[in-house]
Amino acid sequence: MVGRDRPDLLLLSSAAALLAMGLMTVYSASAVVTDSGIFGRQVLWVLIGVLFFAGGTWISFRRLEEISPLLFTVACLLLLITLFVGSGPAGRWLVLGPMQLQASELAKASLILICGWWLASLRVRPRKMGEGAIFLTVLPAVLLTAVQPDLGTAVSMLMLVLAMFIWAGYGPGWIFLLISPVIAAVSSTGFPLWLAFTAVLSFILYRRRATIQSWILFLGGNSLVAALTPLAWNLLEPYQQSRLITFLDPATDPHGAGWNIIQSEVAVGSGGLFGQGYLQGAQKELAFLPARHTDFVFSVWAEETGFLGCFLLLTAFLLLIWRITLAARKSVNPYNSLVTAGIASYLAIHVFVNVGMTLGIMPVTGLPLPFISYGGSQMLVMMFLLGLAVNAGMYWREV
Amino acid sequence: MRRAEGKRGPYLLFMAFITLLFIMLGVRLFHLQVVRGGYFRSLSSRNHIRVVASPAPRGIISDRNGILLADNVPAFMVSAIPSEFDSSRIELVAAELGMESSQLNQMLQSASGMPHRPIVLREGMTVEEASPSAENLFRMPGVMFDVAPLRRYHMPQEFCHLLGYVGLSDTHESYEGEVVGRAGLELALDDRLIGTPGLRREIIDAYGRIVEEFASSAVEEPVPGTGIRLTVDSRLQAIATDKLSMTGLPGSAVVVNFETGDILCAAAVPTFDPNLFARGIRLDEWNALLDDPYKPLFSRAWAATYPPASTFKMVTAAWLLSEGLIEEGFRPDPCFGSYTLGDTDFGCWSIHGRLDLVEAIARSCDIYFYRTCQLGTLDGLATFARRFGFGSTLCELLVGEKSGLVPDSDDLDRFYGEGGWGLGNLLNVSIGQGELLATPLQMAVSAGVIASRGRMPLPGILLDREPRGTVFAGPPLPDQVWAPLIEGMSETVESSRGTLHGVFAGSTLEFYGKTGTAECLGDDHAMVIGFLEVPEPVAICVVIEHGGHGGAVAGPVVRQILEGFYSSGTAGNGAE
Repeated sequence: MVGRDRPDLLLLSSAAALLAMGLMTVYSASAVVTDSGIFGRQVLWVLIGVLFFAGGTWISFRRLEEISPLLFTVACLLLLITLFVGSGPAGRWLVLGPMQLQASELAKASLILICGWWLASLRVRPRKMGEGAIFLTVLPAVLLTAVQPDLGTAVSMLMLVLAMFIWAGYGPGWIFLLISPVIAAVSSTGFPLWLAFTAVLSFILYRRRATIQSWILFLGGNSLVAALTPLAWNLLEPYQQSRLITFLDPATDPHGAGWNIIQSEVAVGSGGLFGQGYLQGAQKELAFLPARHTDFVFSVWAEETGFLGCFLLLTAFLLLIWRITLAARKSVNPYNSLVTAGIASYLAIHVFVNVGMTLGIMPVTGLPLPFISYGGSQMLVMMFLLGLAVNAGMYWREV
Repeated sequence: MRRAEGKRGPYLLFMAFITLLFIMLGVRLFHLQVVRGGYFRSLSSRNHIRVVASPAPRGIISDRNGILLADNVPAFMVSAIPSEFDSSRIELVAAELGMESSQLNQMLQSASGMPHRPIVLREGMTVEEASPSAENLFRMPGVMFDVAPLRRYHMPQEFCHLLGYVGLSDTHESYEGEVVGRAGLELALDDRLIGTPGLRREIIDAYGRIVEEFASSAVEEPVPGTGIRLTVDSRLQAIATDKLSMTGLPGSAVVVNFETGDILCAAAVPTFDPNLFARGIRLDEWNALLDDPYKPLFSRAWAATYPPASTFKMVTAAWLLSEGLIEEGFRPDPCFGSYTLGDTDFGCWSIHGRLDLVEAIARSCDIYFYRTCQLGTLDGLATFARRFGFGSTLCELLVGEKSGLVPDSDDLDRFYGEGGWGLGNLLNVSIGQGELLATPLQMAVSAGVIASRGRMPLPGILLDREPRGTVFAGPPLPDQVWAPLIEGMSETVESSRGTLHGVFAGSTLEFYGKTGTAECLGDDHAMVIGFLEVPEPVAICVVIEHGGHGGAVAGPVVRQILEGFYSSGTAGNGAE
């Protein structure tokens, strides 16, 4: 047994501040409709979340590492079940008696654990094509989420894996090879682009003294991806196509997703420097804002508290992410370090994608804003992960 | 994994990247909230961006000669956004719009579930009606005046059943003021007629005045619906409606061209005014239409079914000849005015004596058919009658078209129980009574089939339709079958004892006809079918409900319609 530090007070207080701001915003957003019970349920979720947080601080990382593959398998199975019996607006909910579970939230958390498990294992005992095995492992979770269809969450999962690779010390060349299929897909829009991409890919393979198998795999595989992308585009759900197109040009769809972005921008912008005042948001009041207590919750906060409030909220997030990353840096045990860095990435990705969406600089996806958005599954998962991060900071000497 | 110091590279990369992301968010926030905050606040506080759909004009409907039957006129539509509506002004708004304040209140209440979606308060206001209220717009926050195309029917009474009418759509997918077809061709061809609404985004102030059109959006103009051209001749339809209504009884008239299948006329009385629906029908007007005992909303020409009565003898005769059950000159035992089968007497309406087939048709003798139909079976007659178009719908665009009924042994087993019926049912069906039911359209088509010797195409209502084959299915029949039928219909008019002789006395038209008198509760239904070869190949059917004897009531209407159309200088419509 090694010694433990006190819990990181700065981390805890920034998380508490975020939870408080979240409850305030959900209350304000749901106050439009009387007796909706949304605020009451969110308070309940936070209270249960405190238990999950305690669980996260209490659990042993050793034990967690052992059961990581099991947890990931369970999460994938839940995703699979959701695919067949899912309900809710987009069929993404799994109904368990009185509970509704969003399996993709669990999958994201278990993805952090399984990636930490694999990367730590490779650190101890490098294996040929071990990195490829990691991608094959996470692929079911990503694909099952993508076909839900929840493209936003699937892409955020890939970004999460990427971040953990960076943390594990893989260099820029590695990362380029990793995301080369994505670049290949983008490059398929123009032949010169594709030529340039292939040239860079060849250069990196040459520099890394790649084997003939790697040459065939990367060049052949990426050419195939580039060739199949136009076909895959046609397989996307029309609403996903429209979301991607709308992101590039919001004016194309004044009724649908573009409408949401415009309304959200108006709400955020009308907050000004000091905001319209708590509970005074006009756009929210008039229900122009879509999904105002879930996906677009930030718009409500921005409208009512203005630039100063947003600055406060984003600072709290940045502080929290920084403290978690510090805990990851301190941790001696590679698994602990990787999982903690994964949690920080999870937070950063969610904050950027969600807030970016409400500001019109990211596409409209269903990614919630951690600690702020209304929703049980993601609140409990997030609180557990927060507990884990605190846990890692306390027991950083553990080998 | 390297030690803490060794993780410096990834750590710095990590934090630098995350900080960069947050700075991007911060810059964007600063831009939206501080730099452009005033602009957005002016949009938000009491000014809102509103997406407005401008209704598309519905497609124009014209007759075969291009005469307009339905088009659109600009009219004012008053709508309100409940969330912006000042409920203390409810009396004022109601007074301005000529409504009851309780009615207005109820409309606003029923829309409270979607308070930001405009609801239509009044539509179809003329400029004169709307302008005094529009001047008071500033006193009515949340109320908007829009110009919307209003459906206008040029011959509303004549075409009310055929064209149907339109109304405001009330589904959640529809936009404010969306007009959809509710009945008739407006309903059947709604996809073609409806067009695509235009879209524009406006910034409006609290009083509903447009401050500016939202800069970044392109305005999409509405695309009018596709026009349609009907096969109907509006002059013939008008004449038919006029002559029918002069009888004072409910009835219908159908005229088809038996060489092209074009429906030239499908008129029914009583009629109603579809323009009432276009401008938004009031409840009392609607109830009056529903409560009218003569059912003006009922499309009698194709949605009503009657026993075809003696007009059906043409089918029975064709069946007897084509099956070889009788020869043309065959003369069964004479008609003594009644025929006894078992213990039942089957009467004839007169005492005809010994007749051949042509005379039996011309004088409409029942006994002739009672005696001869027993040479075949009920199922044989039913199968043959279906080849004439009886028992099935003929034109899919006619909303509510009935298929009628041609009873066979299965049907009668179902009605009366197995063995619960007998030869008497065949006798009834052979003269078009009993369980047999047909629409006026089917009766007109059956005359067309005979006139064309089985070559008449399936009837249609659109001028640009695809040909769909002939009515008369199966192997064609030889001229020996058709010739006596046509001669019989000619003798009906020409012979001094024919049932239509008196009616057509002195007419210049060479009409071939057959009368029918359908027994029913109250006075019998009167009906005549027939056709002309000159000046145009047209077949006609006129049914007058409770008109009494076919020749006496429906016959004159047939003559008035045909003479009104063909003898008034502009005979022929030139389209063929």
